[in-house]
Amino acid sequence: MIEILSGAIMPCVLLLAAIPMLSKRRDFFARFTEGAREGLTSAVRLLPTMIALCVALAMFRASGAVDLLTGALGGAAARLGIPAEILPLLVTRPVSGSASTAAYADLLASVGADSFAALCASVLMGSSDTLVYVITVYFSGTAIGGKPPVRRTRHAFFTAACVMIFCVFLACAVSRLFFSEAGA
Amino acid sequence: MLGVCFFILISVSVAAAIPTGNFGALSNAIVDGAAQAVTLTLSLAGMMALWCGVMRVLQEAGVIRLLARVLSPVLRLVFPDAWRSGRACEEITASVSANILGIGNAATPLALSAMAKLQEENPTPDTATDDMITLSVLATAPPALLPTTLIALRRAAGAARPYEIVLPVWITSAACALFGIVLCRLFARAGRGRRRD
Repeated sequence: MIEILSGAIMPCVLLLAAIPMLSKRRDFFARFTEGAREGLTSAVRLLPTMIALCVALAMFRASGAVDLLTGALGGAAARLGIPAEILPLLVTRPVSGSASTAAYADLLASVGADSFAALCASVLMGSSDTLVYVITVYFSGTAIGGKPPVRRTRHAFFTAACVMIFCVFLACAVSRLFFSEAGA
Repeated sequence: MLGVCFFILISVSVAAAIPTGNFGALSNAIVDGAAQAVTLTLSLAGMMALWCGVMRVLQEAGVIRLLARVLSPVLRLVFPDAWRSGRACEEITASVSANILGIGNAATPLALSAMAKLQEENPTPDTATDDMITLSVLATAPPALLPTTLIALRRAAGAARPYEIVLPVWITSAACALFGIVLCRLFARAGRGRRRD
């Protein structure tokens, strides 16, 4: 039921946009193509940022830094109430959507989808996003109107990092509350 | 700031490759990464074009203005500057709604046009405004209604109850979003105090 509803959202929004096109007085289809043309231009303007970002993130993934960080943080995490199994996810979540999804799928396969670590990881995945990617892309979006982009992002990264850390602890605490039978 | 971020990622990668000897993989990653950026942007381009077009139609038809009016009691508190000036409200409303509805693919292009609109109004174009920071921080902790990818992955991994994570996810993501908003307001106030000195 929920799956049907969530699958219906996007088509319904499109339907909502298609209704005005029946209007005889105004040409809404022309508005659509105008907007779409602007969207395409924006995407092309984003490409230089995306290249720098994707190269840096691909290097980070390939360098083995994830394993090193996971090894170094293991003891500390256990003491803070974070299951050590979710560390690869913790390290990849801020930098890469595909790598953290891979880390998550890997975790489900290795410890079982109903284990406490997997449930913790699910809550974390559901309530966080790829910090570095989002902030970088959003701020490069300031340039697509033709103006020079914002260079000083002030406290954006710091705040997002605080939220991410808060999210990790909260995800573990909430999971402990909900899934005590899974062996927290 | 983006440059600093770039530097940190690259230097950590090179430093990590020294003990592991992964330099060959690192070079391959550079080549793949650059190619990936193009594929990613092209696939994003289709969605951006589609949603910017849809957005324009809904805007002209007055749907977004209606939505902005309905959500304004809440959003006015989160984005005070935009609502005071009355600019970029519709773009912000559209991108926040797309995030909540869980259509993240649509949220990114909508958020980018909101950022561009905010930049047009920015009195100090080289520095981020409070609303820009709030919008981007909120997107790193999106209050989504349905984590569909997660549920699909959990089902594929043979979870007994794939949906049991939904309620904890709501609680956590709502709390994270609230925490992010509060932090943004606090830091914004602190920054303004410093500038006045």
